[in-house]
Amino acid sequence: MESSDEESVDRRRVHLRPFTLRSPAPVTLHLLPCEVPVSRPAPVGRFFTPAIRQGPYGLEASFRGRSLRGEEVAVPPGLVGYVMTEEQGEVSVGKQDFSEGSEEDHELEEQEVMESPETLERDFDRFIGATASFSSFTLWGLETIPGPDSKVRGALTWPSLAAAIHAQVPED
Amino acid sequence: MDRRDGACGRQHVFLVPEYLKDASKKMKNGLMFVKLVNPCSGEGAIYLFNMCLPQLFEIKVFKEKHHSWFINESVQSGGLLHFATPMDPLFLLLHYLMKAGKEGKFQPIDQVVMDDVFPNCILLLKLPELEKLLRHVTEEKEIDKKKYYKYSKEKTLKWLEKKVHQTVAALKTNNVNVGARVQSTAFFFGDQASTDKEEDYIRYAHGLISDYIPKELSDDLSKYLKLPAPPASVPNPPSKVAAQRQQKNK
Repeated sequence: MESSDEESVDRRRVHLRPFTLRSPAPVTLHLLPCEVPVSRPAPVGRFFTPAIRQGPYGLEASFRGRSLRGEEVAVPPGLVGYVMTEEQGEVSVGKQDFSEGSEEDHELEEQEVMESPETLERDFDRFIGATASFSSFTLWGLETIPGPDSKVRGALTWPSLAAAIHAQVPED
Repeated sequence: MDRRDGACGRQHVFLVPEYLKDASKKMKNGLMFVKLVNPCSGEGAIYLFNMCLPQLFEIKVFKEKHHSWFINESVQSGGLLHFATPMDPLFLLLHYLMKAGKEGKFQPIDQVVMDDVFPNCILLLKLPELEKLLRHVTEEKEIDKKKYYKYSKEKTLKWLEKKVHQTVAALKTNNVNVGARVQSTAFFFGDQASTDKEEDYIRYAHGLISDYIPKELSDDLSKYLKLPAPPASVPNPPSKVAAQRQQKNK
């Protein structure tokens, strides 16, 4: 592995604030079959939500004059959905900066990291928190509901496969 | 994490195991995303560590062209869906053991799991039952109450074979289509296709597990499982597609 490039060293950790996972507000999520190139506030409740109708083949709505068909999709059992947002600005909670110091000190400090969860947070780390949670979302397709072979639905079966791949195997 | 747009408050849509929510009630901190090595490609990948359990989670990203989210009263471009699923840390340890194994000598594990590029790999040493895990893929020696380990290809292949079989079982219970050939043979020949089918399952499971091991080991495993050379067009397993997308997304 190339390790000569100092720039490529990645010590940074992004801490997920556990308290934000406890009871975040529920969120309404729609997965649209089109790319909106920017991320920003949008009056979804004024234009999109009131136009949703229950049709004979699922939910009906329109976006930019195109007809959409959709369906409520549940988060697979055993999982919970979160919307996470990174905290902005410089957060200064760090205990130590490991970038300086001799090799010996370095090892000592790493030891401390292992021992105490408090020292897991350092100056240069960043923070992220859940702002909302969900147990289902609305999946939209252009003119038809995305079928059982759609990639989204395939992806939702991943956690159950992953569980088998990563389960511990018995020793001989 | 994708940092493409500098706009404030980029929102990430995540699916995580429910028990993390319960675990979070007891912890003040110790949940963190870190960059560690991807044991298949050797490049960086994002993982989630829970230092309280402790447990390692892999992050996979679903990304398909032409998707966006409406999240309450906002729009989030990209339509990314992140999955955090428990990961067997032995795949990551194996990456380091194989590298150290080239020297062919017994070493303490803290001298094996060292990485200038991904220094957070030291978190792996904190995992419970580390010694039990290592027994699957290494020979060990104890001198003065200190354990020394050496990569064993033979034991690793045995361990991987068990992984393949438990993955095959999951593919069957989840009714995953392991290839177009399965359907067509089953359609035309009914039950006679059962032996072919088993081979397809094993090949598919081998493909899934190959996402977590280097190419050379994947080839050895293929021989060990006595898999014939694959037919011309093997469809990519879903996780492979996801993993490739995840890399492109970096």
